[in-house]
Amino acid sequence: MAKLLIIAEHRNGKLSDATMELCRIAKEIAPGLGLEPVAAVFAKDDSLAKEVAKYIPEVFAVCDAAVEGYTSDAYAQAVKAVVEAKDVKGVLIPQTYDGVDYAAKAALAIGAGIVSNCNKAVIEGGKLVLTRNIYNGKLQETKSVTTDKFVVTFEKGAYDPAEAGAAGAVSTVAVSFTPSRTKVKEIIAMSAGGVDISQAKIIVAGGRGLKDADKYKDVVLPLAAKLGAEYAGSRPVIDSGWTDASRQVGQSGKTVTPDLYLALGISGAVQHVAGMKGSKCIVAVNKDPEAPIFNIATYGIVADLFEVVPGIMANL
Amino acid sequence: MKIVVCLKQVPDMESKFKIVDDKKVDESQIAFKINDFDNYAVEAALQLKEKHGGEVVIVSAGPDRAAKDIRQAFAMGADWGMHITDPAIYEGDSFVIASALAKAIETIGGVDLVMTGVQTEDLQAAVTGVMVADMLNVPHCTNVVKINTADGKAFTLNRELEGGLNEVMDLTGPAVLTIQSGINEPRYPTLPGIMKAKKKQLDAKSGADLGVSASSRTAFIKMFVPVSDTMAEIIAGAPAEAAAKLVDKLKNEAKVI
Ligand SMILES: Cc1cc2nc3c(=O)[nH]c(=O)nc-3n(C[C@H](O)[C@H](O)[C@H](O)COP(=O)(O)OP(=O)(O)OC[C@H]3O[C@@H](n4cnc5c(N)ncnc54)[C@H](O)[C@@H]3O)c2cc1C
Ligand SMILES: Nc1ncnc2c1ncn2[C@@H]1O[C@H](COP(=O)(O)O)[C@@H](O)[C@H]1O
Repeated sequence: MAKLLIIAEHRNGKLSDATMELCRIAKEIAPGLGLEPVAAVFAKDDSLAKEVAKYIPEVFAVCDAAVEGYTSDAYAQAVKAVVEAKDVKGVLIPQTYDGVDYAAKAALAIGAGIVSNCNKAVIEGGKLVLTRNIYNGKLQETKSVTTDKFVVTFEKGAYDPAEAGAAGAVSTVAVSFTPSRTKVKEIIAMSAGGVDISQAKIIVAGGRGLKDADKYKDVVLPLAAKLGAEYAGSRPVIDSGWTDASRQVGQSGKTVTPDLYLALGISGAVQHVAGMKGSKCIVAVNKDPEAPIFNIATYGIVADLFEVVPGIMANL
Repeated sequence: MKIVVCLKQVPDMESKFKIVDDKKVDESQIAFKINDFDNYAVEAALQLKEKHGGEVVIVSAGPDRAAKDIRQAFAMGADWGMHITDPAIYEGDSFVIASALAKAIETIGGVDLVMTGVQTEDLQAAVTGVMVADMLNVPHCTNVVKINTADGKAFTLNRELEGGLNEVMDLTGPAVLTIQSGINEPRYPTLPGIMKAKKKQLDAKSGADLGVSASSRTAFIKMFVPVSDTMAEIIAGAPAEAAAKLVDKLKNEAKVI
């Protein structure tokens, strides 16, 4: 039977959550496509492949020094080799930093169309239909692939991870790699030091809607002080230097789960929401009624934040 | 150095998006601008040019309205551009667009470095840069947050990773870099810059001019406004009144303050 292949992701010998999420998706959609769900693990040995086999019935291990660390050249070659050796029709890859780096290259290598950054997959009339965010999440679209083979990447957290079960079969696939044109020198931590906002009970977060550094300081900081809260920001606030990097919330910043998260002038892009959706109570103040942040907030006020915040201050 | 920046004009995301026939957004209410990530790419290219000399060329596929933002990049300091005005290209999927961008870059010739944004704000695909690299048969680095080069040929790059990590990597150009926000502070055009931009060369090209034969590998089905089953309770009223109600709810209903 032709196969639906997920590509496992790992760093420092640890599988990423996205890997188990893909296992769930593959097992859910493979039967409707007449495919068998399988996984591939590219690593120096097969220990992680054995781990992945608890989540999916069959795993192919490519064990080679060329994939001891990640490079796009090696990963694209490994995907191609497994697809050709094992009658693979579809490939699922996480939309993570590494996934983004090789998914499109792997798609070209196997002559497949790619639909990236998806959050839902269903089968309609035997066809795979994919849902994804567009316009920074204000709209969504559905797409399909018109080529024989397909590659799909999924947003992290779009599906719950699969549960572990009885161990599946692990076999190896040999790949003859050509040397990578990129050389990884080291992986370094950039976010050492700064404040730890992850323990705060209340967080007041400002976004690009605060307009400039002075307004951010004049509006967000006093409200935070009055609430005994930590203050934080979306990525543009940190990119523009309105506050320091240790206060960034989101996929490339901190994950926070306070009792109360106040989002002022933040649109609610998935990369931001990834870092705060676990908050107990979320308040969104945004002048755009269609801002996606309202889709996940507990309470929302559709208005100019510069008029709302003084009102909040006056009532505390 | 000869640097190409791939730039897309996108809607301002604060616009009101009205869907027509489940198929497209009504453009009449929309203001357009440079894709945020591409603005960082333009700035990164200009900084390399200032250090190493050479030129910065803008390549963009899009309707006539995109010329405004190509000239915006000219006003920042880019030298000239190529505008792919063919709907058969810009209405194609990422594969078609990447094929055309790659052909344009080959047509320009002698390119040392190609820069794209990490992703477009409208399509959020994050695939075009990687495809262009593969089609040009050159190495790439995605999510670039730092660029070091002594000679414009050998590069040491920081690639952003999850959890505040960076991968430091080496590659040799020509190459494609996809540029992440925050890498620099994009400059604003100056008045003399805006004046000069009007006279800079902007070549219009069709798919046929560039010899593009690619066709889409994906099909668009429909677009819609997402429905959320966790939609916020919207607190109505004038700002001061809504604020008072909110504080009351936080104290007595959610009991979080
Ligand atoms: C790989 C990658 C990683 C990323 N990581 C992160 C991350 O960790 N964290 C993060 O936040 N982003 C991250 N981003 C960026 C993310 O995609 C968005 O661009 C970002 O979150 C937008 O920030 P924002 O909501 O502050 O700005 P915008 O999206 O510009 O939204 C501003 C909002 O303010 C509102 N507004 C404007 N004026 C007012 C006013 N006067 N009153 C009320 N409302 C107003 C507008 O209606 C709008 O909704 C990442 C992107 C990528 C590609
Ligand atoms: N129509 C286009 N014209 C020029 N560059 C584009 C176009 N579409 C995408 N790009 C470039 O490719 C990057 C990634 O786009 P995407 O793959 O659509 O997310 C953008 O940031 C641009 O630099």
